[in-house]
Amino acid sequence: MSKIKNWYKRIYHELFHLDDRLLLIIAGSIVGICSGLAAVALRLSLESALEWLHPYRSYGWAFLLPAIGAVLSSFYLEKISREGAGHGVPEVIYSVSRYGGLLRLRSSFSRLISSLLTIGSGGSAGPEAPVVMSGSAIGSNIAKFLGLNDRQRITLVGCGTAGAIASIFNAPIAGLVFSVEVILGEWKFVNIIPIAIAAVAGAQISQSIIPAQVIFNHHPFNIGVSDILPSLCLGIVTAFVSVLFTKILRQTGKIAKKTSFPFWVRAIIGGCTVGMIGMFMPVVLGEGYHFIQLMILGTFSMGTFLIFVAIFAKIFATAMTLGWGGSGGIFAPCLLIGSLTGILFHKMLFVFFPDIISAREGAYALLGMTGLISGVMQAPLTGIFLIVEITGGYETILPLIVVSSISSTMSHYIEPASFYLKELIERGQFLRPGTDARILSDLDLGELVDKEHIRVSENMVFREFIELIKTSNQNFFPVIEDATDEYKGVIQITAIRKYVLDPGMYDMIFLNQVMDTDILTASLDNGLQEVLDMMDMNNMDSISVVEHDLFIGMISKNRILDLYRRELIMQTTAH
Amino acid sequence: MNYKLLHIFRNTPFGRETFLQSLYFCKIINAHPVVYIPKSDKFLMYFSNDAVQVDLDASYLTSPETAKTHAQDLFDEMEIKSKFFEPKNFTASSLPDIPTNFDYLCCPRSVSDLSSKIGLGHLGPKVRRIIKHATFPILITSPVFKPWKSISVFFGGSKNAMNSLKIGLKIAMSSGLPLDIYTCLEKKEASHYKELINAADLTEPVKQLSRKWHFYEKDDFDTMLYDIPHNSLIVLGAYGHGLIKDFLFGSKMEQIQSTVTNNLLITGPHCSISL
Repeated sequence: MSKIKNWYKRIYHELFHLDDRLLLIIAGSIVGICSGLAAVALRLSLESALEWLHPYRSYGWAFLLPAIGAVLSSFYLEKISREGAGHGVPEVIYSVSRYGGLLRLRSSFSRLISSLLTIGSGGSAGPEAPVVMSGSAIGSNIAKFLGLNDRQRITLVGCGTAGAIASIFNAPIAGLVFSVEVILGEWKFVNIIPIAIAAVAGAQISQSIIPAQVIFNHHPFNIGVSDILPSLCLGIVTAFVSVLFTKILRQTGKIAKKTSFPFWVRAIIGGCTVGMIGMFMPVVLGEGYHFIQLMILGTFSMGTFLIFVAIFAKIFATAMTLGWGGSGGIFAPCLLIGSLTGILFHKMLFVFFPDIISAREGAYALLGMTGLISGVMQAPLTGIFLIVEITGGYETILPLIVVSSISSTMSHYIEPASFYLKELIERGQFLRPGTDARILSDLDLGELVDKEHIRVSENMVFREFIELIKTSNQNFFPVIEDATDEYKGVIQITAIRKYVLDPGMYDMIFLNQVMDTDILTASLDNGLQEVLDMMDMNNMDSISVVEHDLFIGMISKNRILDLYRRELIMQTTAH
Repeated sequence: MNYKLLHIFRNTPFGRETFLQSLYFCKIINAHPVVYIPKSDKFLMYFSNDAVQVDLDASYLTSPETAKTHAQDLFDEMEIKSKFFEPKNFTASSLPDIPTNFDYLCCPRSVSDLSSKIGLGHLGPKVRRIIKHATFPILITSPVFKPWKSISVFFGGSKNAMNSLKIGLKIAMSSGLPLDIYTCLEKKEASHYKELINAADLTEPVKQLSRKWHFYEKDDFDTMLYDIPHNSLIVLGAYGHGLIKDFLFGSKMEQIQSTVTNNLLITGPHCSISL
């Protein structure tokens, strides 16, 4: 074993000691291939499951199918893989922002299985978030195996995400953009090349296994300048639909959590509701790619009112699937709701302006998809590049940019946090690199504590203390009990001025008579932000840190500022 | 010093024994116990290069309404100031993150091995991973509360064994309890081990603090285990040998923990102990 280790260390040193980019490129391509394989496996399994269950959908009991799928899925997540439910993207972002991209090995396959059970049985969700989770976990665990550091591990997590998205949509640029825009949140040269290579590797794997895969075919749209103004309006509409979708998703999840039902009862309720909706409106079932294709081709035969109902039905069905125990993502539902919104908008356009010169319905389905992706994820570039790539329709790029920017800006104005980030922001755990919150969270409280602070005994005579402060530049002196070393209080130089100016008192008073005992203290369990808040609220420049009644040291604002600057320089100049 | 031990509390009679053991350990070495009462059946520990999910069995969630009172009663019984840990960060709503900046962790054998609720059984993979990645020693308690009256260090010469010797010496220093060193000679003479101690500048502290250094022939390993006092805290290093050697010939740590009922303090490869 030691020979293998030495051999690995030698190869590692020889190859990568000059520049770790080569290592990241090689590891990134491996991660891209693995995450691409995971995405292809899920896609093929989903196709088989949907095909296998298709003949049973006409039976009266078919509404039970999504419930069975949801129960199996939640049972698998709760009892077998023992992971919390949810689609996983916030977990990846959380891990990247707080723990250097560390993810559990089980996450590399658990969401694939659970989402296969949910979506395959007809649940309204998408397979994209599970493959993102899986790809990221693959990247993280390969980084762990190679013994890489946090920064390198985060890059490989990004590679996994890019490879997975690139593979499932056959869209490498969208994979790269999604990974950087949504997961990593920072455009760094050192990240982009490995992630781009991983995305290409993922897409190539997908193409080589499923050669004929083009998710959405289309004919040229002849979209022109006359469509710019309607695109502006569509951007506003999709922004409102995005906010509505996000709010309903979150509220439904909250309601489910408040109920005291066991997880399997929740899954049955959610699954049956989706199944019932699906009996009357099959467009809500599964990931909905087939219907999106029809809408792009302009052969979707639903009437205007039914399309309007279908938008809300899909939103509600997705919320019931994901909030009540199913597993999957919101990417595909966004595409379906977006394309429904787009064609509804197109139909309404002709109702109000019958003479308008406009592109065909399919073009508006694409624009609607971009609007929803940009609005819900607040990731405008992902919205644009994904639609351009999966449709190959570069002629729509200008209206796509218009819809995307309007939708993401407006939804950000109404709802400042995207669906992926909302929960993390509410918990105060969204820490992008280079931000104040991230730098403060990266500072170790133990490191900030000045442990060399001079302590004084509570029984010290004031004259002795006067002699002490002559030779010290401290403004705060913690007072300690002699016998137990317990912290009793603090003496602030500014607070004892009246005693200092009266030499007659020097031999008459002890420090326990002049110390402050009601001044706030911090503990090592407090976060730095908490400590800063305490200092600000009480107008303190320094605060004592006390643990189990023992004085540990002092934290001063000067020391925080010094270390903050050091950390900021480290985070912003590294590579 | 301000040492902290994290204890995952289980509100059952068996959990009480384990907690009493943790409290006793803290009292002897002047550490502060911090109790975590789980509200879900799993938690995550993020180490520097691994995220370990610890899955607890249902007994850890027994009678949550009385758990804190029971823990407090035990704190009071041992006259130790109570401190409870509430997780601040969550990877998922039912998956709290437990910090890894403690100085000790009490890890009951049953954390991941359901078969060992009564007997000793084997260490589960989670405990092994925690030991492997933790920067702090892991206390694996005896099945019932058993105050220890001496310290026994297993010294096999590896880096981890050196760490275990250092922590044994530290505990002996702070507790005043006698320390015995046990070495099973493996193709090496006793002088080799003494040279190792000398090279690590530990000769003097070992002379001052240890009662006796016991040497056994390779085949006498079981005899050595029997010779260890039943009421002694055993300190040993884990992962001293390679993975393949452990796989082929079995892990010494596993053999010891499944044979003796003593309290074990295990130092892993990432522990850094200084005297």
